[in-house]
Amino acid sequence: MIEVVASMARGPVFLAGELMECLITFTNPMSHLSTSASSEMLAWASAQIHCQFHASENRVALPTRGNKQDVQAESDTVLIPSRGERGQCVLDTPPKILFCDLRLDPGERKTYSYSEVVPVDGPPSFRGQAVKYVYKLTIGCQRVNSPIKLLRVPFRVLVLQGMPEPPFPQDEEVSPSNPFLEEEEVSRRDARPLERALDMLMVTTSRRSPHMFNITNTRGKVAKFCIFKTVYRLGEEIIGTFNFSEGDIPCLQYSVSLQSEEEIQDQYQRRPGQAVSVTGHGRHLESCLHTASSHFSLPIPLNVTPGFSTDVVALRWRLHFEFVTAREPMEAPTVLQNQAEVTIWAGAEHVDVDTFSWNLPIKVLPTNPALASYVSQFTGTNRIDI
Amino acid sequence: MYFLTGWPRRLLCPLKSEEEPFHIQPSSQRFYFALVSETQISIWFSRPSVLIVSYIESVKAAAQFGFYQKAEWKPDDSMIAVATAKGYILLFDVLGGGDEKYLYEPVYPKGSPRVKVTPGYKEEQCAPALSLEMKKPVDLEAPITSLQSLQENLLVCTADGYLHVLHWDGQGSNGRKAICLTTIPFSLDLQSARAGPALDLEGVYICCMEYCVTLDGFAVVLSDGRLGFITPLSNTIIADQLQGVWAADVSDGTCVAVNNKYRLMAFGCASGSVLVYMIDTTTGSMQLSHKLELTPKHYPDIYNKTGAVKVICWSPDCSVAMVTWECGGLSLWSVFGAHLICTLGEDFAHRSDGTKKEPLRISSMSWGAEGYHLWVLPSNQGRRRKEEHSMEEDSPPHPFLRAGILQFHFIKSALTVNPCTSNQEHVLLHGEDRLYLTCGDPTQIHSTSDAHPHTHLHPHDGSPLHQPAHPDSSLSQGLSTLLGHKHWHVVQIHSTYLESNWPIRFAAIDTAGQCMAVAGRRGFAHYSLFTRKWKLFGNITQEQNMTVTGGLAWWNDFVVVACYNFTDQQEQLRLYQRSSNLDNAFASVTKLHADTLLLNVFRDMIILFRADCSICLYSIEKRNEGLGQSASVELLQEVSMSRYIPHPALVVSVTLTSVRTETGITLKAPQQACTAESIMLNLAGQLIMLQRDRSGPQVREKETPAINKKLLPFSPPVVLAQCVENVWTTCRSNKKKRHLLEALWLSCGEAGMKVWLPLFPRDHRKPHSFLSRRIMLPFHINIYPLAVLFEDALVLGATNETVLYDGLQGSSEPLEALFPYCTVERTSQIYLHHILRQLLVRNLGEQALMLAQSCAGLPYFPHVMELMVHVVLEEEATSREPIPDPLLPTVAKFITEFPLFLQTIVHCARKTEYALWNYLFAAVGNPKDLFEECLMAQDLDTAASYLIILQNMEVPAVSRQHATLLFNTALEQGKWDLCRHMIRFLKAIGSGEMDTPPPTPSTQEPSSTGAFEFFRNRSISLSQSADSISTGKFNLQKTFSMPTGSSPKGADCPENMYIDMMLWRHARHLLEQVRLRDLGCFSAQLGFELIGWLCRERNRVARVEDFVLALKKLHEDFLWPFPVIPVGSLSSPLKNGRCRPVLSTQLLKSQSADSLLNSDMDTAPPLAVPMNHTWTDSLGQRSKDTDTASSAHSNQNSPQTYDAFLSLVTNKVEEYSIGSATDLTETSSMVDGDWMMVDENSSTLSLSQAELEHISMELANKGPHKSQVQLRYLLHVFMEAGCLEWCVVIGLILRDTNVIKQVISFLDNPEVPAETVQSIRKGLLAVDTWASSDSLGYKPFLNLIQPQLQHLMESTSEQVQPEAFQPATQSSKLSGSDGLGGATAPRAEDSRGGAAPLGLTLPALEPAGGYNRTPSEDCPSEQSEVQGEEEGTYDCTLS
Repeated sequence: MIEVVASMARGPVFLAGELMECLITFTNPMSHLSTSASSEMLAWASAQIHCQFHASENRVALPTRGNKQDVQAESDTVLIPSRGERGQCVLDTPPKILFCDLRLDPGERKTYSYSEVVPVDGPPSFRGQAVKYVYKLTIGCQRVNSPIKLLRVPFRVLVLQGMPEPPFPQDEEVSPSNPFLEEEEVSRRDARPLERALDMLMVTTSRRSPHMFNITNTRGKVAKFCIFKTVYRLGEEIIGTFNFSEGDIPCLQYSVSLQSEEEIQDQYQRRPGQAVSVTGHGRHLESCLHTASSHFSLPIPLNVTPGFSTDVVALRWRLHFEFVTAREPMEAPTVLQNQAEVTIWAGAEHVDVDTFSWNLPIKVLPTNPALASYVSQFTGTNRIDI
Repeated sequence: MYFLTGWPRRLLCPLKSEEEPFHIQPSSQRFYFALVSETQISIWFSRPSVLIVSYIESVKAAAQFGFYQKAEWKPDDSMIAVATAKGYILLFDVLGGGDEKYLYEPVYPKGSPRVKVTPGYKEEQCAPALSLEMKKPVDLEAPITSLQSLQENLLVCTADGYLHVLHWDGQGSNGRKAICLTTIPFSLDLQSARAGPALDLEGVYICCMEYCVTLDGFAVVLSDGRLGFITPLSNTIIADQLQGVWAADVSDGTCVAVNNKYRLMAFGCASGSVLVYMIDTTTGSMQLSHKLELTPKHYPDIYNKTGAVKVICWSPDCSVAMVTWECGGLSLWSVFGAHLICTLGEDFAHRSDGTKKEPLRISSMSWGAEGYHLWVLPSNQGRRRKEEHSMEEDSPPHPFLRAGILQFHFIKSALTVNPCTSNQEHVLLHGEDRLYLTCGDPTQIHSTSDAHPHTHLHPHDGSPLHQPAHPDSSLSQGLSTLLGHKHWHVVQIHSTYLESNWPIRFAAIDTAGQCMAVAGRRGFAHYSLFTRKWKLFGNITQEQNMTVTGGLAWWNDFVVVACYNFTDQQEQLRLYQRSSNLDNAFASVTKLHADTLLLNVFRDMIILFRADCSICLYSIEKRNEGLGQSASVELLQEVSMSRYIPHPALVVSVTLTSVRTETGITLKAPQQACTAESIMLNLAGQLIMLQRDRSGPQVREKETPAINKKLLPFSPPVVLAQCVENVWTTCRSNKKKRHLLEALWLSCGEAGMKVWLPLFPRDHRKPHSFLSRRIMLPFHINIYPLAVLFEDALVLGATNETVLYDGLQGSSEPLEALFPYCTVERTSQIYLHHILRQLLVRNLGEQALMLAQSCAGLPYFPHVMELMVHVVLEEEATSREPIPDPLLPTVAKFITEFPLFLQTIVHCARKTEYALWNYLFAAVGNPKDLFEECLMAQDLDTAASYLIILQNMEVPAVSRQHATLLFNTALEQGKWDLCRHMIRFLKAIGSGEMDTPPPTPSTQEPSSTGAFEFFRNRSISLSQSADSISTGKFNLQKTFSMPTGSSPKGADCPENMYIDMMLWRHARHLLEQVRLRDLGCFSAQLGFELIGWLCRERNRVARVEDFVLALKKLHEDFLWPFPVIPVGSLSSPLKNGRCRPVLSTQLLKSQSADSLLNSDMDTAPPLAVPMNHTWTDSLGQRSKDTDTASSAHSNQNSPQTYDAFLSLVTNKVEEYSIGSATDLTETSSMVDGDWMMVDENSSTLSLSQAELEHISMELANKGPHKSQVQLRYLLHVFMEAGCLEWCVVIGLILRDTNVIKQVISFLDNPEVPAETVQSIRKGLLAVDTWASSDSLGYKPFLNLIQPQLQHLMESTSEQVQPEAFQPATQSSKLSGSDGLGGATAPRAEDSRGGAAPLGLTLPALEPAGGYNRTPSEDCPSEQSEVQGEEEGTYDCTLS
């Protein structure tokens, strides 16, 4: 038996364009003292990143598949990473061979490092109601005369769409370079896309640009709403303030929901004009009858998918507001002191109300993948025994 | 702990009125708030925060009673008492609380598509309808100063010095008592003789009073500002049964608030400080516990200008106090005085443009339910506006305004109400509707730190891609992300649960930090981070029939709750499994006999503290029952504590721990370390420990069956510490970090933290009898601790941060402009240096060492060490008085125990002022010695840091000498950055300081922290080349002016010359040792002009003495595999392991070993290698015609060589020119193209299996691409410099016939020295010999260049002196036989691997026709094809 453990040290979340590194350790778990111990052989192992796409049959109409065979002969040395997976493989990186002919003596352990740039042009990991994009690192290994065994390490990919392309190959901008200088710079260059992406994220999401909205319905002014920015990173809190004191119509209650809309692009819709699927990700509900001003803060969960669009699906984010307002405008009664009789004011038992809703589109962008790793459902580590 | 969050919410009274409320009084459960204005009392509901009812007095009654002043609720919320200015108590009945009438119930239009926003809205989002009805007023005939509800009584203080006791239901005066203050005896303590009534109390009255249940007495502030405490001596309050004590020396008291849980009395003073008193239980005197004061350090402009303390409010859970002053502002303090928030500074007090804001003045405030809100009545604002209005227009003298109330929001640590063990390594905060937890799981970090050593443990496992440094960096990165980022994971509490059970009372998180549980008014709910789902009771009745009373905790997969069951009317202990549905059917229920107040879990034990002051221990056991699991609970032990606990409400927390006073026992049996050894009880801030009594006859565990093992009784309690807010212990054990894991950590408010550290005898010796087993060490930290990461030696906490949002919305003055937005940020702190220092102070160096060694693996350990030196240094070096027993030498000695000593000292020095250096180095040793130690330890970077010190403390000659030393070492080790710095450093010394006296400190920048910033800033006037050095670009110098050019420069600056000399020497050294790769890096990194130098050294050190050795060395250096021949064709050398296909195993072999190997293997005599002219292009030539000017220039140095090159260039047509990177890459791509060719050819030619294998092996054994590029680059450099021998060696390793051919063709040139030709010839012969015997893989290539070799033999034989023939003749002698073998050997064998030793085939035998004869053979034919394609010179070269 050989135990294969694949582990992504940095965590299971990556930004597209980032270099993913995975340490794959092959261990012969037998103690070298045990009598039955013998050395183990593996013919080869190779690793490859691929993205599986899966669409719900009753929402997405996909063109009939090509003649791509999803069959893999058991004894063949052909690695099809998506073998046995649902859906289709929309993206894969070239396989990299880790080794050929590995021999492990009892108790011996060898570690290989697989590194690959997560493709920039792929979709983000997404688990929607109609469409799923799932990224996996698949490590295939084969013993001589045995079927290929696949070890899958699912991971999450965040895509920062609209990232400006780097100004062409980085090497060229540092024209004639001495090949002896390269060594140190390679590592530096690897970190660059991530840094650039994070810089850009910070710049776009830390800019404050307050937007004011006068919330009115058919009967009059309800509130004034202010939101300080409309572009957010994952994990940030959306903060908005309400001012009801200037409204004419009393508002009994408001709620703000963070929602994502998943829309199938026209040409793939199963039924023309089919509804957009809306998913809620958090809600703030507040009674605001005698409230002059208030605010809400809605956290954007770290595990949701930032807005994106592919040729099949588009994901957009919005804030969905609902207001329960009185039907009659209510002028605050004036209480006069020094009346002859005791006055007792009590609130109304019933209020005739209407409900109104309103949507405000916002943008949700990825965040530092290291941060997202902490709450990832994946562990970034997986193992298999061969 | 409490943290302010967001903005305050502003409520607006729906009624317009000319009055403004000035007093707010919460009902006992804080669900209702009574607001009092002059003639009006209003009742607000807490959630939703709406006005329920408002009672406005008639003019007649108002005139009779006077204005309203204060209000007080009856404990059952059924009545309100209002005190009026003219000495009346007005009692109001609050009606309607019970019946099902609600206010503001929304009525949705019929047919509305959305009827309700939330299910259950009607019941939960509406306020109950109440009404107020006045009962008969009670006239007390004097102005009322204080009002206090006391169960069935109402205590009223009046300005005539009386204390009235009224019965809530007492109609009329029959239930009324009045006690005159002057009859109460006061003294400084209760013991001193029963002093008679104090005579100085005439005319003095109680102006503020509060009753403390747990102290059973009244804290009073008298009208003359004195503070006192009055206790009834019997159960009822009777005039002559009262006794008072004074607080000594205070006469400016203004207000008081008591803390029932901690038995504290907080008195506000006119000076602005709050004095917190406790009662000494033995003497009964008032003792000052601590003060709450703003420090001048943090609030320089306001600390003494706050005015008198106006209101003090303890939070409902008694863990914090909110204080406000006359001038306004809010400040929040923990129970023992840790300062948390103050709104008088920073963003609260200043706008973003720096202007000051008017502080918020507060007339009254009150905490809301569970402390999530603070209701604040702002004062003056309305009045100020009134004044403005009245000034503008006189017509409405009293404009009607809607009064505002501010609601500040707080989040608090789960520990404040539910201090259970499982919360202790995670920071869990809860707000009104959400949970905040620390992102990132410390245990995850542990696991990686545990996991990573395996990669270190097998450094020789031979995995090619092994990166040992990597896990370390990822670990530290992981930890720094964990600690560095300030994100919280925010979980919103399920709205359905929240709406029906608001407010949340308890929250708990499991040990892994993955599952949380919350409990509100009724029932509870839990959440899993993994599924991201809440689990609620499926059956609402079940939820509503229980209420959590004693807290909740996680035990493995179970939620443990102590609750009250309303249907059975009994107290129960329940365990619910997380994975099953939340339903009583899956719960294990144990009946309890008394109300539970606290609950905790330790390993498999539950500990309960009950209202009858007893502690119960239960064991939990998991059971598999059918489908699911369940837990069974069994009572183990019951310990009555009523003797020690005066009031059950005083117990803050109860914990089982494995802590014992004697560590000796745990030392003997470490597996027992985690048994429940003691109970820790926090009794009103006093930490009490009850240990298991082991003094009795010990029962051997073996003898008693484990099941009915009788648990040991507990010994009497011992007080460990005072003023304790929180306690942390762990039940985990780790032998390596016993100090940290077996310690007890305490947070003590303003006193910081304390650790009760175990002391272990070293090496398991018998403990010294005089050495105590534990030691309590206090240390200060700057954060409020919320969790202790035991293994990581870290404390996690949180602080309030503020963000200003003003200036965004113009002039409308919304709240955003008045207040900053508050957020809570996580913080963390290391504390190890404090503890180590304390141990050293106490002469416990051995313990300190053990502790430090256990933590030496932490990523911030160097930082800890540095901090320790720094703190001690700053303290002792800046001390005014001489220190009798300085600690610094001890600290220095301590750190020498660690390998990072040198580094620590220099880093610390560099972060300290220059003025302190003398003191520092007097203690730690001479910097020169330390520098030398660094060099010995090969720690060059640290040595470089010391150089700065030396430079400042020593004469230039010394620092120069040391710098030179370091420079040479850095060169040797290839620390290029350091080399560049050293060059600059040396030049800087040379540029100005050669003959000047040592620099005075004042001219230096002593506090510069950056290593070489100092030198960078200094003008390096003379060294233009220094700039080019740092550019780090490929700068192939075509001009060979450097050697000559540098001499005039050197005349100006001896330093430059000196540096050049060193560089040349190093280059020579590298070349002598055949370290081409190092030479390449050296030249590239330091901008060393290799070509020029090589030109000069061409006939000296740039010669190759031993081709074979050089070749092997290159293979090794460039990770270039030796060529391999197919296994089938020749097996013996492979099988006996002498010929290794992969070189990596030899990487670490020293050169001497290598040569030893050579002599071993080179058994065969040297043989000549025949060569062919296949390729006529030359790499070196190409560059020549691109840059004739430069080569012409270069002629000055070595004219003959370049003439020769020029002559050869002319007939070659080359597309690309060497000398730019592009052509280097083209070269490499050309080589890549070779591969393709091989592939194509082999496929078309349908080779045999063996041949295919051969090709594939050839391919597989090509070195890394980068090495190839580097080799090509070096080849070019050598070509250019005319070092032909080296060209041959590189040509060989690259197996590039072109190169060999080209070089050999150069040899024809008469300018080439004869010895070069000779040397090449000899070298090639040696290589051939070696290849035949030891590296058969080379044979095919050597065969390939046979024509060239042959040509060389021919040409040299003519030119070279007769002696030079010696090897040749020798070889020809031998070749006779071999040649025969070669001739007879089958063709295929020849070409494939040179299986037969036919390398020495004589020119006559194999005259260049090898290819013609074997057109089917791979290499030659393919290469000739390439030749044919690329240039039309194929024919002529062949001929």
